[in-house]
Amino acid sequence: MINLTNFQRPQRYVGNEWNVIKKPHQGKIKICLAYPDLYEIGMSNLGLRIIYGLLNEYPDIVCERSFLPGSDLIIHLSQSQDKLFSLESKTPLSEFEVIGVNIGHELNYTNFLKILDLGGIPIYANQRADNIVVVSSVSNPEPLADFVDVFYIGEFEENSKIFVDILKNCKSKPERLRALAGQEGFYVPSMYNFYRKANTYFFEKKYPDVSLPIKRAYVRDLDTSYVPTKWLTPHTEITHDRVPIELARGCPRRCTFCQARDVYFPYRQRKVETVKRLVRQIYETSGYEEFSFLALSASDYSHIEALLDEMYPFFLKHQIGLSLPSLRVDDLITVLHKKLLKLKKSSLTLAVEAARDPLRNRLNKEIDIKKLFEAAKVIKHLGTRRIKIYFMFGLPGEEEEDLLAMRDFVNKLRSESGLMVGVSINIFIPKPFSIWSDQKMETESNLNRKRQSILNNFSRVRNIKLSVASVKNILLEAIISRADRKFSEVIYKAYSKGAIMDGYSEHFNWQIWEEAMADSDIDYNDYLNNTSDNYPWSFIESAKVINSCK
Amino acid sequence: MQIVKFPVKVKLKKFSDLIFFSQLDLIHLLARALRRTNLPIYFTQGFHPRVKISFLSGLKLGVEGQMDVVFYFREKIQPQDMVRELSPQLPKGLEIVEILS
Repeated sequence: MINLTNFQRPQRYVGNEWNVIKKPHQGKIKICLAYPDLYEIGMSNLGLRIIYGLLNEYPDIVCERSFLPGSDLIIHLSQSQDKLFSLESKTPLSEFEVIGVNIGHELNYTNFLKILDLGGIPIYANQRADNIVVVSSVSNPEPLADFVDVFYIGEFEENSKIFVDILKNCKSKPERLRALAGQEGFYVPSMYNFYRKANTYFFEKKYPDVSLPIKRAYVRDLDTSYVPTKWLTPHTEITHDRVPIELARGCPRRCTFCQARDVYFPYRQRKVETVKRLVRQIYETSGYEEFSFLALSASDYSHIEALLDEMYPFFLKHQIGLSLPSLRVDDLITVLHKKLLKLKKSSLTLAVEAARDPLRNRLNKEIDIKKLFEAAKVIKHLGTRRIKIYFMFGLPGEEEEDLLAMRDFVNKLRSESGLMVGVSINIFIPKPFSIWSDQKMETESNLNRKRQSILNNFSRVRNIKLSVASVKNILLEAIISRADRKFSEVIYKAYSKGAIMDGYSEHFNWQIWEEAMADSDIDYNDYLNNTSDNYPWSFIESAKVINSCK
Repeated sequence: MQIVKFPVKVKLKKFSDLIFFSQLDLIHLLARALRRTNLPIYFTQGFHPRVKISFLSGLKLGVEGQMDVVFYFREKIQPQDMVRELSPQLPKGLEIVEILS
């Protein structure tokens, strides 16, 4: 057994959280959920917690967890006979029949390969005899197709029973894959021939009984869907150290740049009663001091006022903090601020995206800017010390004035509120399944020029915390998110040359990726300029997006 | 208005898996354990109220040992009652071994 005291932050590897589930392995199907990022990040992921709790509800299943280790343990595992293990029983990953990976982000792909590698599992799916690697939470699965046995497209709660039944009834890997390939939400890449001819992607089934197109699975009833109420509570700080309670899933808005609306379609709300019950139950089992009410847009939740009214005495009595991560400003100045005032600290984030009206209208981002500045005056009485504001650049139809206007916007917000303003500026990517998936990505040289102009413009502004996305990093994210099956090769080559944790600037190395693409004869502009008639992900049914750009 | 607080001092033993957890981790862990009980917890006053816990001694990461800890309550409670309520909420590797006052 590895001596944990030799490694940094050994708390990550102990697996003794409050409410941790440890079952005997004897006679059970063993599943390990492996998260392709550090413990602190992975434990902040709601999906991982739901699936962990849900699978363990089945008596025939034992489900454990593993995370990408810190660099020191990665080095140890690569140089010794020890393999990456599950936290609960310290079992090597290769001994699990199923490895479930919630990918979450495109820049986690090399981490995913690292986890397989360290766990003693062959990286390529066709070289694996018994382990089944299931990957979820990717919008475009194709660049990972060579490494993955089964993709799950959509929300797992809805079909967990089908999955477990197939594992119970079919014993061999080929039987299991074949049975899964016909079920809602399951995509088994080895059951299809996918190729590109000229400018078109072709998708063909190898067997008549597999699904095509792939239907996205979604939870029909959010009030009865599974929530782990015996909340897994770490004994050490994690990145988002609070309990997220979903008020709703999906989004009733139609922001053109956003893929979440389609990926989490349709819009569903939870009853106030359900939210109340969940908060109480989870507080009792965890003692967590902070909750957040989660939704793509919390203000669109029809019962937000009633909910805050009804929850207020409970939160006050137990001194529980609440954060509402996605408020709309118009609600804030009318009613909500009076309610928020009474609660312990609330954090405030405003996703404005564009500083001027015409561009913001093109984004379908409906914000009343006059009200926003009125709200700024209210905000300072809320006990929030900082406002965070989000912008984007590289947007289709963007003008120089849009970039310059960001500064004036922030200055005004700062003076009206008297608060520290955190400004986070991101770069537009035409993401799969967004309304603007057919738009071209802005060129690298233009992005560099625009980024510099934004930085120059902000250089004399005090009392703000500015972060602007790095162009190369976003470029890689864009390429991977839009790439096809051929790109698996690039990911493997980049991984072999040492690419890892590409989402972290201290680890990201563009040169490795550039070489890997050149090695594989891939011109990434092909993906970014939308040169094909359809997409590598066109075999997945998109939600019926009403494309109503005004 | 100043709320009176009633301290209960105990000796805690840290061993097994809990040796990997820092002093800061222990503060959060004990606060959450207290919140899971029905004890009348005392919260610090001011802008960010939190559960008040004082460590009179500490332990390095990675070693077993004992430390003196003070918990605070809004009402006078019997230390034995506190131990009875809190002990089931402590993870393996953390035990109240003695009531000091």
